[in-house]
Amino acid sequence: MEIRPILSALMRSKVSMILIGLQVALTLAIVCNALFIIGQRLDNMNRPSGMNEADTFWFGSAGFSDGYNASATEKSDLALLRQMPGVAAATSTNSVPMSDGGWSTGVNLQPQQKTSTAETTLYLVDSEAMNAFGTKLIAGRAFKPEEIVSAKFGDNVQPPSIIVSKALADKLFPNGDALGKPVYMDKDPPTSTIVGIVERAQAPWVTSENIENSIFAPVSMPSGNSTRYLVRAEPGRRDEVIKAVEQKLTEANPGRIIGKMRTIEQTRKDAYAGDRAMAIILSVVIFALLCITALGIVGMASFWVAQRTRQIGTRRALGATRLDILRYFQTENFIITTMGLIAGGILAYAFSLWLMHTYQSPRLPWYYVPIGFVCLWALGQLAVLGPALRASRVPPAVATRSV
Amino acid sequence: MFAYYFQLGLRSLRRNPILTALMVVGIGLGIAASMTTLTVMHLMGSDPIPWKSDKLHYVQLDNWDVNSPYSDDGRPPDQVTYRDAVALMAAGKADKQVAMFKIALPVQPQNPDIKPFQSLGRATYADFFAMFEPPFAYGHGWDRTQDADHARAIVLTTALNEKLFGGQDSVGKTLRMNGIDYTIVGVIGDWKLRARYYDLTNGAFDDPEEFYLPFTTAIDLKHRASGNNSCFKSSGEGWDAYLESDCVWIQMWAQLDSPSRLAEYKSFLDSYVNEQKKLGRFERPLNNRLLDVNAWMRDQKVVSRDVEVQTGLAFAFLIVCLVNTIGLLLAKFTRKSGEIGLRRALGASKREVFTQFLIESAVVGLTGGFLGLLLTGLGLVGVRALYTQYKSVAHLDWTMIAMTILLAVVSALLAGLYPTWRACRVQPAAQLKI
Amino acid sequence: MLKMTHLQKVYRTHLIETYALRDFSIQVREGEFVAVTGPSGSGKTTFLNIAGLLEEFTGGQYQLDGVDVHGLNDDKRSKLRNEKIGFIFQSFNLIPDLNLFDNVDVPLRYRGFAAADRKKRIEESLSRVGLASRMKHYPSELSGGQQQRVAIARALAGSPRLLLADEPTGNLDSLMARGVLELMEEINRQGTTIVMVTHDAELAARAHRNVHVIDGQLTDFDDEPQLRKPTRDDRSSTATVA
Repeated sequence: MEIRPILSALMRSKVSMILIGLQVALTLAIVCNALFIIGQRLDNMNRPSGMNEADTFWFGSAGFSDGYNASATEKSDLALLRQMPGVAAATSTNSVPMSDGGWSTGVNLQPQQKTSTAETTLYLVDSEAMNAFGTKLIAGRAFKPEEIVSAKFGDNVQPPSIIVSKALADKLFPNGDALGKPVYMDKDPPTSTIVGIVERAQAPWVTSENIENSIFAPVSMPSGNSTRYLVRAEPGRRDEVIKAVEQKLTEANPGRIIGKMRTIEQTRKDAYAGDRAMAIILSVVIFALLCITALGIVGMASFWVAQRTRQIGTRRALGATRLDILRYFQTENFIITTMGLIAGGILAYAFSLWLMHTYQSPRLPWYYVPIGFVCLWALGQLAVLGPALRASRVPPAVATRSV
Repeated sequence: MFAYYFQLGLRSLRRNPILTALMVVGIGLGIAASMTTLTVMHLMGSDPIPWKSDKLHYVQLDNWDVNSPYSDDGRPPDQVTYRDAVALMAAGKADKQVAMFKIALPVQPQNPDIKPFQSLGRATYADFFAMFEPPFAYGHGWDRTQDADHARAIVLTTALNEKLFGGQDSVGKTLRMNGIDYTIVGVIGDWKLRARYYDLTNGAFDDPEEFYLPFTTAIDLKHRASGNNSCFKSSGEGWDAYLESDCVWIQMWAQLDSPSRLAEYKSFLDSYVNEQKKLGRFERPLNNRLLDVNAWMRDQKVVSRDVEVQTGLAFAFLIVCLVNTIGLLLAKFTRKSGEIGLRRALGASKREVFTQFLIESAVVGLTGGFLGLLLTGLGLVGVRALYTQYKSVAHLDWTMIAMTILLAVVSALLAGLYPTWRACRVQPAAQLKI
Repeated sequence: MLKMTHLQKVYRTHLIETYALRDFSIQVREGEFVAVTGPSGSGKTTFLNIAGLLEEFTGGQYQLDGVDVHGLNDDKRSKLRNEKIGFIFQSFNLIPDLNLFDNVDVPLRYRGFAAADRKKRIEESLSRVGLASRMKHYPSELSGGQQQRVAIARALAGSPRLLLADEPTGNLDSLMARGVLELMEEINRQGTTIVMVTHDAELAARAHRNVHVIDGQLTDFDDEPQLRKPTRDDRSSTATVA
């Protein structure tokens, strides 16, 4: 409607306009980038680990008594676990996904290669591992019990057969023909042959660039007197199985400590606690920011209405309807918000560039800013509605009231 | 006059309750957001040992793969090999020096009521206690001869002493760990470490360590580090091969009491590495580093990227709140132009009007500051709930409380400057209808 | 043009009822220039507010240009105001943030005229009050007399049939007041009906007809000598006293 006169009137009170505009601009810039960061964190948190997370748990066992035989204990523990009611599968492993501690290694296609073809995590597991992890084998086969290599800690791990994650298989063999191929896990022979490919198996480090690369090797290698077990319970029986396992294993060998039982669900929660905290904190900041901006608009608009009561009365006397007055303030808010948003859009991208430069964050996708525009337009219109309605109720007789 | 203006300011707060509430809440929220993040950042990143942080230096040598650097930006490995650690310890060229690593051992309490449990600790040298200065509740650290003797000596922390001996003086008693009896030589008292700055490789805010025992003893007993271990090539078979390997798993610190000692030690390290080069090790270019405590904490990003981003956002938020306050103060003061005109007509000078309104802004800031303090407290409770590992750094201290109020008042004064300047320009009696 | 019969306006608070107008009847014919006089608080302004559809009345009847305005909703009253009535206020009520052109434009915008038509009307009415050359100026750059001229231009721009003036010279010195009055007489000669509220006897004397309000009731001053001849002979018109 009457944009030009509103604009020229606004130009006569630049400061108030700049203040609201600046507030809107900063809000847009912060909200866009914060939302983007939240989105990234949520994406991170929602990545599947490739495991059955609902039914699995893991724990450590550390022997301390004289003559403690880690290797023998591992064998008897696994046998005990596997025959327990409610246990679907159990394996020893050196690490589990998202647990923030494990082994990584380079993988090579040639002997004496100078730089590795891929970096990967290495899971040293027992023959039932695929079943215990709950990972989906999409090509080849699982390990056979007779393939398990017994090793001492510190020995070189070069088993004849390995299973790799699909991401690693594709990295090593982009043509998709990884199955049956030999790879070097050290600079020298012997090689290990890929006998199976799993759909997905994440590394223990959730911030790793190579999180999707993993190798399973059929190796039993206690770390000193310590062994780690991963157990998958039958669906819905995890918590009862945890209690039973803790009791049974402690009884089975008093010369060792059974560590804390940790569910994969808890492990995931711990691994992403930082991301979760960041998302929550940023959400709180966004919420508070939108509140402040809305309240600021309410405050300023109320002030403008109060200051212009007489002017509003005059307009009413000259024939403006209530709707005309309402629309005047809404249009005014729209103009100010739009100016702020244009500045804010530039600021949002500048802010994003700074984050990219300082923290190597990804670039803010273009659509965040237009979405922010729509949201802040709506916020502005909503915030100004109260004062604008009050303005529309100013009686026209105000015009003839003596000062 | 100040008291009069202060009173006027308070009264004015009450006269426009909604506008006042908007301003106070705005400042309060902005201050709380900034101070919450700032407190965490301040306590995370502040100097843990200010009286000697410039004397303690973290030793880094670059023994890494000639074909690929340890990190993409060319920084040397964050730990050293066993070979280099013992060589540097034996040379003893620094005023004090320590090599150490994190270990986990099963504790077998004598008290049958306490089940055996796994405990985290540190294998280190006698100088550790003199260098990092933990306060002792009972006894003291072991000495250098005990290092040389591979003594079965141990220092407990309050927490472990509490668990095993009910907090009593346990010096002289024995503690069995992994089948070995250690003699307790000291118990560390209340050591307020915000970040475990001497071992940043294994998490500055992770689970606390509960005991300290001699490095030489731990090696004797073939205890592997439970912390990070990085190798760029196979370490070979067996324990001895591992000790000889180029795997890095040991943190090394040198205390150098003067700049000249630092320079001497630097050239000593260079000559050491050059000697090693002759043996075919250290194939990369010379890349030794001796960062002091604060530089090392910055290098290892003790203040996490997230906390920095949060702090940045919080301050941007504060700016929005201030812009908001400027607008609202402007509104408030403009409404009072009648009063200003009257005051001017009754003899108030511009300076007096300026003072009055600036003090009114400060009163708003002060009120906002108190609200902000309350909200900061709440915010820190939230941070502690969200980041369990930051328990030690999400607390308000007196400095931060004073900072909060100061920041609120200064912000409000800044926000009040323009509205006040506008208020001063009201002509005497211009608003009075005669 | 304007006909009020037995009009009543009561302000109620929870304690007292105040009659601003009681049983107020008046008729103004097309082309008349009527001055309404009376002491402060007599109900002059209430009369003007009701006449200008700025306020509702509580009883009686009011016909504006043949339309019974009783019970019209706010939008219809706004439209009627905009089309039929021009206002001149004591304190001019120009919008300080708009220049003269935009000020005169305000009622035209609400009327929904096309841009070209508005421009023509604004230029015409500003020329009529002799301020065409200052269209881009802001009210604060003008003297009081000039500001009131702009207000008159604004009132005239929409070609209203009725001009309502509330102490149009109350805020002006006598020289400026004379100029404004002459302008109003000129407008009246060209056919616009004018009802002017004033307490200035000299000013009132220049109208065709004077009516006097006391305590919300009307006293006709028909027998007062008139300084000017009315354009049409309306002397037979009556204002009924209750």
